[in-house]
Amino acid sequence: MKRPALWLAVAFFLVSFSLIGYRIIRLGYPLFPTFPAKAWGLTMEIFFEPSETNGKEMEIRAGLPQSRPGQSVIEQKDLSGSLQFNILPEGLNQIGVWSGDPEKGKTISYRATVLLNPKRVAKPKPPGPESFPAIIAEKSEQILARRLIERYASLKAHEKLKAIATTAKGIWGEPTPNDNDLKQWSAIQRKYGGEKALVILLRMAGFPVRKGQGFVLAERIATQPDRWISVWTGKKWEHLPPETGSLYPESVRLLPLMVGNGPLVSISGGKLQEVRWSLNKETLSQWRSHFERIYRSGRFLDRWSLFTIPNQFQEIFRILLLVPLGVLMISVLRNIVGFPTFGIFMPVLVALAFRSTGLGYGLGIFGGVVLIGYLLRRGIDRLRLLLVPRLSFLITFVILAFTIFALIGSKFGVREFMAIGLLPFVILSMTIERFFILIEESGAFQALRTAAGSAAVAAITYKIIQIDPLQLTFFVYPELLFAVMGLLLLLGNYSGYRLSEILRFKVLRVKS
Amino acid sequence: MIFRPFLSLRKAGVLGMNRRNTQYIMGYNRRSSFPLVDDKLLTKRLALKHGIPTPSLYHVVSHHGDIAGFERALADRQEFVLKPARGGGGSGIILITDRRNGKFVTQSGKMISKEEIHYHISDILSGIYSLEGLEDRAVIESLIHPDQVFGKVTYEGVPDVRIIAYRGVPAMAMVRLPTRQSDGKANLHRGAVGVGIDIGRGKTMNGVRRSGAITHHPDTRESLRDIAVPFWEKMLFMAAQSTDMTGLGYLGVDLVIDKNEGPLLLELNARPGLQIQVANRKGLLGRLEMIDSAPKEIFVSSGKRVSWAVQNFTEPGEAAPEIAREKVEEDMATGNRMHVTSIPAEIVNRDISYGPSSDGV
Repeated sequence: MKRPALWLAVAFFLVSFSLIGYRIIRLGYPLFPTFPAKAWGLTMEIFFEPSETNGKEMEIRAGLPQSRPGQSVIEQKDLSGSLQFNILPEGLNQIGVWSGDPEKGKTISYRATVLLNPKRVAKPKPPGPESFPAIIAEKSEQILARRLIERYASLKAHEKLKAIATTAKGIWGEPTPNDNDLKQWSAIQRKYGGEKALVILLRMAGFPVRKGQGFVLAERIATQPDRWISVWTGKKWEHLPPETGSLYPESVRLLPLMVGNGPLVSISGGKLQEVRWSLNKETLSQWRSHFERIYRSGRFLDRWSLFTIPNQFQEIFRILLLVPLGVLMISVLRNIVGFPTFGIFMPVLVALAFRSTGLGYGLGIFGGVVLIGYLLRRGIDRLRLLLVPRLSFLITFVILAFTIFALIGSKFGVREFMAIGLLPFVILSMTIERFFILIEESGAFQALRTAAGSAAVAAITYKIIQIDPLQLTFFVYPELLFAVMGLLLLLGNYSGYRLSEILRFKVLRVKS
Repeated sequence: MIFRPFLSLRKAGVLGMNRRNTQYIMGYNRRSSFPLVDDKLLTKRLALKHGIPTPSLYHVVSHHGDIAGFERALADRQEFVLKPARGGGGSGIILITDRRNGKFVTQSGKMISKEEIHYHISDILSGIYSLEGLEDRAVIESLIHPDQVFGKVTYEGVPDVRIIAYRGVPAMAMVRLPTRQSDGKANLHRGAVGVGIDIGRGKTMNGVRRSGAITHHPDTRESLRDIAVPFWEKMLFMAAQSTDMTGLGYLGVDLVIDKNEGPLLLELNARPGLQIQVANRKGLLGRLEMIDSAPKEIFVSSGKRVSWAVQNFTEPGEAAPEIAREKVEEDMATGNRMHVTSIPAEIVNRDISYGPSSDGV
């Protein structure tokens, strides 16, 4: 290894790691900024039909998630923008109100990101007056209920609650209440419904009770919210679904959207067609929670953080910062592993393009365009075109192919076919030309080998730059670019064998 | 151990691509000297100045307007080779063996018209065959009649000899024999056969095709071993002198043996491939390191470098021959005279300049 290169590399590493160290130690950046926090994305779409008689004013109200102990809503957005959107606190709830002239659309879509903080133990809020609803049952029914739960009087609150919950399944425990009482209770259950009957029992047992609507956190799409009963046992709230006869286990996390009796989504001046909620897990890193602090901080490196630039440019930098990572990959795959590729940086650009099409579609489209392009190139070879018009011809063909793909994609609803606009067309045209020349000069075998090598390198690079934590680390610590430069200096000095050369020079190996 | 294969390659003295690039090409080949070998006309002019024989230059076409004049320049020559000055990998070369009724007969027997030749020259000038796509020149030079020494192990085409010269010392050599698969071209990656040549004795050794070892030519079925290469010492001298004339310390020298004119320098390569090691069943790195540790005084003249190589790079078990230096130097002298007279002075001395070359993405 050449000395100056080594020292320069060490210097780059030092700069990189001392800046990172300063951020972590002095500015309190997360040591592992990529440690994924548990976050959930909630998307709500409301499809509605405005009624024609009711003028143009319309209002839709929907329960939204809110920050509570152990859970914080870090972002919420109205994505549709067709109606005026406001969030109003109403009792225990946050109500999203969309109002205005619905002419522009018949859909509302809303998105929230909710961060669950497992570390902070939620200190429960004791029940307020809303948790002591008037008991709706008649006097005689109340007496029956009281008689039925007398048997549990000696139990502790939590046990008592569990015992009462099981009655929803008709399990009363020993001794079994007399048949007459049970028959009457069944009548009450039929009269009010299972849920209300259970509330009557719980209220008669003296528990503060409230209803809840929202979702048990799991990745899914739903058109109906989950409903549950929340019961205060003196220390904390316990939640139980009305029908199953048992409490939600500790491991179940709930995302309440509405506490109390009201409907979760309501409309005036129109008709609801459908409401759809979808829940998905999100990998968020702790930098998101640091964002606010960084934004306000006066410290030098905080002021000079990529977080301070406007959002739309942040997106560009998030992609830009992946390029060094990509070229680092190429250097490793070419010089240490020994993949053959068309052009040097073609696979990086292709990998970046895969970000919008996905790997499968990307490879398919890419392969298809090169194959058809190759046949075309063969066809025009006889015409003996000059170099520049010939390459321009190929570029035009590639753009034409993209256009056709987009039209087909729009016809059949394949979004990936329309996203190919970002595929680097110049590189693609050059690849067609190189592929043709390689077949002519070195044969189809060599050309296919190189094509496979290029595809493999692009796919590997894509997989690496798609690792979210890695992406975010570079965004939080852009000084890592110095480290990449240092690594590239070291790689540039690697004069050892490539992995592929073990095979290539197999006959020369000395058996030891 | 994972490192085992790496170590065994190192032990065998194999030169890998990375080391070749960083240590030898970047270490010994100055970028500014690359055009000397990338452009066959520049190489030819240089060779001429240093008395290294090359195929005789008949004519150069530099501008589209001059295309029509090329027949006048041909005069009554019946056979010639038309090639791009900056072409790579043997593309764009046409061999003409005869002229009949105003048409040209190619080596494979195809008749092509005057217009087609003009078209081809126009293509060359536009840079279709030059790797960077830059404007090029068309070179018209004498046709090579290969010496029949490799006749039995050649399928059509012209076999050529590649010698790697490191710091002016011939380090390793092979002959490349065209096959049916390589379409008469002497390119290994097209399927031509590579056969190692013992530097000391000038005799062929093992053969390789793609990456498999072979002992007989795949088309002619003749044995590849122990063919004595004629003019061997002279060829080693030509390789050694190519380093002196270009200043490139790590050089691939491509030679052909013409049955009338003897060995001719065809082209030089500043980035010679590594497959020569497989043809020789021997690592190049070991040889290069031996040259680096050779006594300093051998580097003062090409004669000393060649005789050192002959002494040190003879296959084990074979006696290194004495070389008759006077005879070789005499050969060189005659070759020198012969070719100075055969190239029009105004072509040789014309200033050839190109724009900066660009590296593709």
